[in-house]
Amino acid sequence: MASTTVETREPDSEDPVVELRNASVTYDDGNSYVLDHVSMDVHRHEVIGVIGESGSGKSMLAESMLDSIPDPGVLRGQVRYNPSEGEPIDVLDLTTEELRQLRWEEISMVFQGAMSSFNPTMRVGKHFEETLSAHDADIDEGLAFARELLQDLYLEPDRVLNSYPHELSGGMQQRALIALSLVLEPELLVMDEPTAALDLLMQRSILRLLRELKEKYDLTMVFITHDLPLIAALADRLAIMYAFHPVEIGRTEEIVQNAAHPYTRALLNSTPNLDAPIEEMVPIPGSQPAPINVPDGCAYHPRCPLADEQCRSSKPDYVSVSDRHTSACYHWDDARDEIALNYSENLGDAARSGGDE
Amino acid sequence: MPGDEVVLSLEDIEVHFENKSSLLDFGGESETVRAVDGVSLDIYERDVIALVGESGCGKTTLGKTSIGLQRPTGGSVKYRGEDIWDIRDGKVDTDTEWADIRQSLQIIHQDPGASLNPNRRLVSILSEPLRQVNPNLSKQEKRERIYALLERVGMTPAADFAERYPHQLSGGEQQRVALCRALLMNPDVILADEAISALDVSLRVEMMDLMLDLQEEFDTSYVFISHDLSNARYFTAHSGGRIGVMYLGQIAEIGPAEAMIQDPHHPYTNVLRWATPDLSLQDAGEVPMRKIDIPDPVDPPKGCNFQTRCPEAREACRQADPQSYHAENQRVRCFREDEDHEYWESPELTD
Ligand code: SF4
Ligand code: SF4
Repeated sequence: MASTTVETREPDSEDPVVELRNASVTYDDGNSYVLDHVSMDVHRHEVIGVIGESGSGKSMLAESMLDSIPDPGVLRGQVRYNPSEGEPIDVLDLTTEELRQLRWEEISMVFQGAMSSFNPTMRVGKHFEETLSAHDADIDEGLAFARELLQDLYLEPDRVLNSYPHELSGGMQQRALIALSLVLEPELLVMDEPTAALDLLMQRSILRLLRELKEKYDLTMVFITHDLPLIAALADRLAIMYAFHPVEIGRTEEIVQNAAHPYTRALLNSTPNLDAPIEEMVPIPGSQPAPINVPDGCAYHPRCPLADEQCRSSKPDYVSVSDRHTSACYHWDDARDEIALNYSENLGDAARSGGDE
Repeated sequence: MPGDEVVLSLEDIEVHFENKSSLLDFGGESETVRAVDGVSLDIYERDVIALVGESGCGKTTLGKTSIGLQRPTGGSVKYRGEDIWDIRDGKVDTDTEWADIRQSLQIIHQDPGASLNPNRRLVSILSEPLRQVNPNLSKQEKRERIYALLERVGMTPAADFAERYPHQLSGGEQQRVALCRALLMNPDVILADEAISALDVSLRVEMMDLMLDLQEEFDTSYVFISHDLSNARYFTAHSGGRIGVMYLGQIAEIGPAEAMIQDPHHPYTNVLRWATPDLSLQDAGEVPMRKIDIPDPVDPPKGCNFQTRCPEAREACRQADPQSYHAENQRVRCFREDEDHEYWESPELTD
């Protein structure tokens, strides 16, 4: 049993690569928050999955790590980057030039839709050369590494490097972009829905390859997605976003088997998957709030079956559910009893005993 | 549950596109893309068929061909026994008109925003199909029906929603309007082309439930196109439907939903099963294919079309194209269904 479940390394929580403290993004003169006071760490050598539906603020979270919030959004708070060697860096204090160097070299980012990231009139190989030279890296060495990465991603290096982007399928382009994002050996790879435009078979194949890349190169990754089951087998930890901040953060097994927030449990139950008896999948009534009218108190209260007066009037803080597992809910314990997970009988003994230890 | 009467019958459908070579290849020959290559399928009354497969497998082309939006280059599409393209071309003497067929076969697209006229309010968008089906309805009657249906799909207060423009709706609401518009045509078959793929995960079940609830009231069949086996399973298993797995223009395996999930026979169905994420946290293992990328449909592999990627492929798979075998509940295009086939004696393919 133990050998077939996903092994969880304990990423070193004493050694965060990125620390966010009260990171907020506002529009409209500071009145509407699209990222709301987020404090969380990305641990070195972990994969953290950030899960959220559209309009939950998950992309803002990704972009805040590179201080690349689109105008006119304003990012406040602290974003600290700790290189494995050298002094910590306050990302929000960097000059434009310093930020340019930080991106790709230290923290790289892959978005959905490789088409818009590649210049259509330039061969793929040229993108690698330009990236290497823009960061004063050795071109020959860099290209040799690029070839290795492409091969790791099941691509033929010669063919891909000599092609124009449009000559490759969507899945090939996205893999080439992942290789490009790794060619400078960044400490952190941030991916925002990197596979969402692809069909499921290609998505899963890429996830599998990322897992192999992660082992081979000891990567740290932040993976943003709306699709919890997709990332469950790759991520060490999950952060569940609702109304512009994470409502629950914990190790993947604990979240999947014993989530401690009503929204997470509802999300798990509403997701079609091959394990759950089909009669028991239930949609979440209502919808996420827009930035301009986030409910008072707990933002989830209008949709939450456990909401009471306290939930409606004051905003819950994070409570520690167990080691490395926090939930922003007054009634996380009741949620576990009262909102049954519809696939849990298929999870075996691990699910029933797991979680609280 | 599906009825006994066949609404649509596809026989040996081929859809081949001529793809003019790019200007760079001077005098290059035009290439033929075999989007659909020999598919036969019957769709019954109140039937549900999910077509699944990766991009480029031909599922959308087959779906569009089945509802008369795409003319096949070979084979026939029959609507209640009559060849729809013969009717279209005026080759047969019948009372069935092309307009009736078009009305009976409807589509909802992946992107509902693009299929709804942005300059018209919902009440006017939804009046149009009512006018076509039932020209004698008064304005008041039309309004009443539209309000009733909007309420039925959870868009309340209906009088308020009816006055909105499409851009004032969420993606899920737009998709419900697209469904309403299709249903008001009283169709026999609705093609749902990746109709839930663009919705948030938590809204997909809701939309599928709604489509299935309304199926009974409106007495319609669905052809449901998806790249996601778990959605296909949810949609078909709730309705006694079938899942058809497509690969490079052919149906590799087809059968009842639960049999396809619990007991897949074709190696490619197994690959799709692997690709469907679950919450068991079990390590699904390496990609169970020899190659990740789908071959160019201009030049499909000889023999079995899956042989270049199939983990079970043997030399015999290069030599001939497998027929469709019966396997318990499914129909399967793979030599492994024939115990006596020379496949079992031939060497494995390893490249
Ligand atoms: S704090 Fe209250 S309303 Fe919010 S999730 Fe917990 S129980 Fe529900
Ligand atoms: S016939 Fe051969 S190549 Fe084709 S699916 Fe069966 S085993 Fe694989």
